[in-house]
Amino acid sequence: MFIHIVYGTNAATMSKILLVEDDEIMPKIVARILPSSEYELDHVSNGKEAFEKLESTQYGYDLIITDIMMPYANGFEILSKVKSQPRPIPVIIVSNAGNEDMVMEGFKLGADDFLKKPIIPAELMIRVKRLLMKNK
Amino acid sequence: MFDIQLPAFLEPFINIFRSAPLVIQLAMIFIVVAAGGTLLAYFSILRNRYRGNRRDKRLAKLLPKIDNLIIDEVLTHPEADTVPADQVVLNLDAFQELPLDKKWARAALTERIIHFRRNVRGNMGLLLRSLYMQLELDKDAMKKMKAGHWEKKVQALIEFTSMDMSVADVTILPLTNSRNRELRAAARHAYIKLSKNEPFKFFDVVTEPLLMWDQVELLRIISTTEDIAIPNFARWVTYSSNKSVVSFCLKLIVHYNQLPAVPAVIKLLDTKDHYLRADAINCLGKLRVPDVEDKLVSIYSTQPLHCQIEILKALGRISSGRHIEFLKLEFLHSTDFDLRKSAAKSLVRNDWIAKQVIEELMATATPENLRILKHCMNPLIKY
Repeated sequence: MFIHIVYGTNAATMSKILLVEDDEIMPKIVARILPSSEYELDHVSNGKEAFEKLESTQYGYDLIITDIMMPYANGFEILSKVKSQPRPIPVIIVSNAGNEDMVMEGFKLGADDFLKKPIIPAELMIRVKRLLMKNK
Repeated sequence: MFDIQLPAFLEPFINIFRSAPLVIQLAMIFIVVAAGGTLLAYFSILRNRYRGNRRDKRLAKLLPKIDNLIIDEVLTHPEADTVPADQVVLNLDAFQELPLDKKWARAALTERIIHFRRNVRGNMGLLLRSLYMQLELDKDAMKKMKAGHWEKKVQALIEFTSMDMSVADVTILPLTNSRNRELRAAARHAYIKLSKNEPFKFFDVVTEPLLMWDQVELLRIISTTEDIAIPNFARWVTYSSNKSVVSFCLKLIVHYNQLPAVPAVIKLLDTKDHYLRADAINCLGKLRVPDVEDKLVSIYSTQPLHCQIEILKALGRISSGRHIEFLKLEFLHSTDFDLRKSAAKSLVRNDWIAKQVIEELMATATPENLRILKHCMNPLIKY
């Protein structure tokens, strides 16, 4: 099931973000953190749906925010698939799993940033902005 | 004696029962009891499913309302990002539309607030805590703490820990020694998280052994809890009569690299318990204390096998290069495979000075020793 949350008016200037998260609360929080006027947020709740969404949009996202531990395919699988594309999309991992190995594995696979849950909302926003600016 | 009036429709069954032989009577009783038990079980399952279904329906209606209220009144509060949480005035009236007079609704709200707090921290996390306090949901947790059932107590402890509530030490401390494993673990978790002064005080009162899994959990809690005052664990190494606490403290000493605890650990080498002695040797090796090498080598021959293995490993970890000859002799002449492997591994760890010795051994070793050396020299093999 895809949840497509489109806010704002000017779709052409809005950054498209894919949120891959199986927690039911987190998408609501992220939708609150990222202003609807600047970001178009798509949410999927597992790795399989993320792959389907990415295929159907031909990887047409400016940023992916993903959890690590999810059903069907985990965040690392999404990360390695996204980073193997001709135009790699920046990826932020947001996860409860904060052990060193997990973080290192994420960065080895090409993650652009890592945030440990619980997140500080302002921090997520700044990191999202920074990555989007960097990749413009 | 008793004149029980049975309904008339049961009369034929009673007559059949009375006229039947004893074996048949017993069989009939058994059938009636079994059928009755089965019916009761089915009825109980149906009743629970019906209740569960009703609860799910009620929650399906209530949870979106709770989420919206939390998002509207807390997360999107205009002052949420700018004003300190304790100065923000929350609109509690909005929450009065929830049926908070009902216990299940309060439980659902509490659970949801905790869920939100697992995802956000900072000022928003504090605002969620403030909401929890202002709605007096903590009173329910206090009631659960006083309940007799251990599951309720565990729920309350998790709630207190998640909401970072201050609870008197005397309330939690006795539970850290509970005979119930889950309650014990939850109480220790809560105590470390919530006790601001002495989060490790329960080490003093622990009478039950800390199981390996408890130790893993405790290490995770201790190492992930923020703003925790880490004491010198030598205190328990020296004074605790609980061997599992001493063993765990040795691991904590390594984790926090507490070099001031080294004298207490060295004293532990004289303990009669050889498992603790092995842990102490392991600790000294991991702390890389070069001064202890000579003592380890001198006691080596009188130690049981697992202490000897730990001594060889410690010489490799310390890697001072002063006992290459000892390691070489153990590798060549020891009759135990594990000792030879540990000696070889430690020689390899000392390769900054033992390169020539290793080359010599490679050239002259027996096929089995050569395999051991190659195994130890392979950086991809950890053990």
